[in-house]
Amino acid sequence: MKRQRTLPQIGGAEPPSVLLSSGDISNASIPPFALIPMLQHAGMPARCLVRPGDKVQEGMLIGKADGARSANVHSSVPGTVVSVSETKGADGVACQAALIEFGGEFGRTGKPISTSDWQALPRAELLGRISACGVVGLGGGLLPTHIKLARERGRAVSLLIANGMESEPSLHADFCLMREKSREIAVGMRICQRILDAARVVLAISELSEEGLAPFFRRAFAETGGGFEIMALPGRYPQGHEDLVRGSVVARTASSNGNPPCVESVDCVVLNVATLFAVYEAVVLQRPLIERLVTVSGSAVRRPGVLKVRVGTRVGDLFEECGGLVDPPGKVVLGGPMRGVCVSSLDYPVTKGVAGVMAFTRAEARGGSQLPCIRCGACIEACAWGLVPTRLNKLIEQGSTAAAFAEGLSSCTECGCCAFACPSRIPLVDGLRKGKKLGAIDTNG
Amino acid sequence: MLVVSPAPHVGGLSSTRRLNWSVACCLLPAAAWGVFLFGVPALSVLGVALGASLAAELLAALAWRRVTLADGSAAVTGLLVGMLMPPGVPLYVPAVASAFAIIIVKQSFGGLGRNWMNPALGGVVFALFSWANAMNSWLPARGVAAGTGVLPPLNALRAALTGAKSAHRGALAVLGASSYPWSAADGRVVAWINTHILSLAGWSLPGGVFDMLVGNIPGRIGDVSVPLLFLGAAYLLGRRVIRWQVPVTYLVTFCVAAQIFGGLPMGCGWGTGGALFQLFSGSLVLGAFFMATDPVTSPLTGTGKLLYGMCLGVLSFFLRYFGSGGDGVPLAIVLGNCVVPVIDRFAQPRVGSPGKAAAG
Amino acid sequence: MTRPSGFIRNNPVAAVLIGLCPAAAVTGRVIDALWMSLGLVFVLVLTRVSEAILRGLNKAPSGQRPSRPEPLRHTQSSQSLTAGWLGRLFLASCFTASFEVILQAFAPDESASLGIYVSLIAINCIVLDRVSEQRALGAPKATGTEILRALQDSIAVGAGFAVSLMVISLVREVLGAGTITLFPVGSFGGTVVVGNVSLEPARALIYTGGGFLCLGYLAGVARLLGHVRRREREQSRPEAGPV
Repeated sequence: MKRQRTLPQIGGAEPPSVLLSSGDISNASIPPFALIPMLQHAGMPARCLVRPGDKVQEGMLIGKADGARSANVHSSVPGTVVSVSETKGADGVACQAALIEFGGEFGRTGKPISTSDWQALPRAELLGRISACGVVGLGGGLLPTHIKLARERGRAVSLLIANGMESEPSLHADFCLMREKSREIAVGMRICQRILDAARVVLAISELSEEGLAPFFRRAFAETGGGFEIMALPGRYPQGHEDLVRGSVVARTASSNGNPPCVESVDCVVLNVATLFAVYEAVVLQRPLIERLVTVSGSAVRRPGVLKVRVGTRVGDLFEECGGLVDPPGKVVLGGPMRGVCVSSLDYPVTKGVAGVMAFTRAEARGGSQLPCIRCGACIEACAWGLVPTRLNKLIEQGSTAAAFAEGLSSCTECGCCAFACPSRIPLVDGLRKGKKLGAIDTNG
Repeated sequence: MLVVSPAPHVGGLSSTRRLNWSVACCLLPAAAWGVFLFGVPALSVLGVALGASLAAELLAALAWRRVTLADGSAAVTGLLVGMLMPPGVPLYVPAVASAFAIIIVKQSFGGLGRNWMNPALGGVVFALFSWANAMNSWLPARGVAAGTGVLPPLNALRAALTGAKSAHRGALAVLGASSYPWSAADGRVVAWINTHILSLAGWSLPGGVFDMLVGNIPGRIGDVSVPLLFLGAAYLLGRRVIRWQVPVTYLVTFCVAAQIFGGLPMGCGWGTGGALFQLFSGSLVLGAFFMATDPVTSPLTGTGKLLYGMCLGVLSFFLRYFGSGGDGVPLAIVLGNCVVPVIDRFAQPRVGSPGKAAAG
Repeated sequence: MTRPSGFIRNNPVAAVLIGLCPAAAVTGRVIDALWMSLGLVFVLVLTRVSEAILRGLNKAPSGQRPSRPEPLRHTQSSQSLTAGWLGRLFLASCFTASFEVILQAFAPDESASLGIYVSLIAINCIVLDRVSEQRALGAPKATGTEILRALQDSIAVGAGFAVSLMVISLVREVLGAGTITLFPVGSFGGTVVVGNVSLEPARALIYTGGGFLCLGYLAGVARLLGHVRRREREQSRPEAGPV
């Protein structure tokens, strides 16, 4: 039988990951001012419902989903709306944002939790609760979850994967969440299985964290009804990417049956564990998505760690919570080291999509000078999708984006492995991204 | 002021500068051995070659408005050109060869990464065609009396085989019969081994084994000591500065071809080619590990590199046995460089869906 | 464009890169290049001029229309193009043969040295038509103007070709053999020996590969000079309004 090749043999990179001294989650302080953008998901921005001067409560709906491909936005703190203005996100996209000054009493935090029995609810009601609470894909895609779950409603899904692999090497929050809230995540998986009518449910975790997490989940699965599997995948970046998780789970499943099916033929939905936790909170606790776990890391941070952060908190304040910055930072990144977006100031808010913040020292931020491509082939070895980044970049530079697309440019997920491996420090991902944007412009006219 | 730059925000450990300077450092043991063997002439040749290449690179800086000495490629080129020169060569030859290599072969095509021919080899081939006599100015090895007609073993073998086919089996036997001057140390070591170890089994080694293995033979400065070259190459392979595909396939293909067909000119029949002798003569090992592995002029993918190695092995075999020059390696690699774009086209990696990629 | 472009802008060897066969093959010695250029100019000029004369004779005098309507010059039909090409080849071959005979009479050593390339001058004339074809477009003028234009054009192209060949051969012979071979005149033996280089010249340049190397660099230098001149012209031009 053909030996199955898994990710480490066909690409990936080993970027340095930050080891955290303690794996505990600390609560970040409630922000005095919460800047909450209306666009924290993939799709159309929400319509802002509040005006300056309005009083809001914790978890109150302040932005209504605008259209089918949109999500609700809720206030993360009680208080007063100071202003509603246009802001630009870290990725440069502009949208409305409400600045709320914290004040008043908490509606839910610190109060006893009320749960509801979800098993009796119809599927539509479950989706309704998820949609009302503004749950979006927290693994990076930010697709409104009710759309992801609803799309498959017509037919039964054969495989539901709970993605417990970290999407970036420096992120640690998912691991902490899985350790602390394994039962809740298992309930979330059960809810999604019910909605999708999934035949099989698999939890994918990293081989490195298998020892630490598997016992918790086995117990949680047993408590919630059993029938779920745990699969440990290699921990090499970018194995945590949705496509690769899907491919590896399908490939390993097939090997036990004897014949590998084509991965496209398997109907499969992948959801991040943080999203599943948010699904649990939305359905069982009817709590909207107003906070998330954020990994604060980087060599310029004195005490890196995982914080539970309210949406709208200022990024700079997170660094203060972690012992402050050792030196004035050279570079601040929202996300992780491989895909994260650089920001030019510390005043950006934490949104639903911010999984981590990193602060690099000045020395690290300087980087090396760029040299010409020496055709070493390191980028080809690093690409997990089988592309030739150096050739694609050259085609894009010459203006032949059509030829680049013919050679597979659309498969590129901008994982960053090629640029990481490049000894000449060529910004390959930047070039590929520009090429994809040009291609999108061409097709859109 | 915060730096804003595109992702990713960390880089791997390898850098082009480090790759080039590693190669330069790994060439030094073999270069030092050449200086030890041949003395001041070898040192001046190496110095002139290196100096000329650095000067030429500085000259090119006028065109690019940027000094590119720090990336190490000019140093590697200069060192390689020097190591491919015979020690007695008049100094204008390495100077012109180095300048040719940098200015015409590398910089005229756009600098680092844009050349299609290995620069050092381009310069050496130019020198081989321009000053063929000067490129045959050999000096004797250590412990051998200086006399006229000093030849490296490979060239001496060729000279001995012209005319009637020899009655002896094996290259060293032929050389021994034509009284090739091995060193006194070689004589002592081989005699000792023969009397104390091999006589028990009834074998005997021909004279010259010690000299060839250690590298105490006339030849080009950098390619006489194969063990030191292997040492440098092992470091480079271990640190993944060079990949194994090209040198291993090159050497294996060449040795297999040499072993099977190489005995025919000596009239010894098939399979008696003396691949080991061929491996330790000429610039085969230097070429395989340090010149054929140049990333700029070799194929991009692993499969392509394997094909390239095989091409080079075949070409070297033909040029060494049927060509007019002594050592077919520089020209073989240059010809291989011409074929690389075709190999690249054949050996593209297959773009698959990520599931396919993950599943193999 | 009134000035013939064959000398610089459309220089066959340095700019357009056609007619390279003699440029690489016979430039090993200066004297070879000299005779080759002479031969080419001779044949080219005579061919073009005769062609122009014959065209003029072929044109019907005014008032008498030919039996078949003559197509316009700038949209020549393929038939007339072929006819023109064959005619030119015939003329070129005649003049090449004459030059061959002249060469054998006056410089038999040279004839032996150039060998087959003298016969190939005919082909080169056809090839070099590529450079002049562009200029042949336009309404047919009076015969006299046509002849003059043909003369101008062929001299320009021939001179351009000659200069390129001379430059290449100078470089190749000086660096590759250390000599400059010219006509023997009086007490001058015919060969200039260039001091130090002739002791150990870079013989690689004498091979054809070396010839292509020099050729490539000539083309590169010509291009560079063209760039430089264009940039200077653009800078010195008075600022125009938005184009």
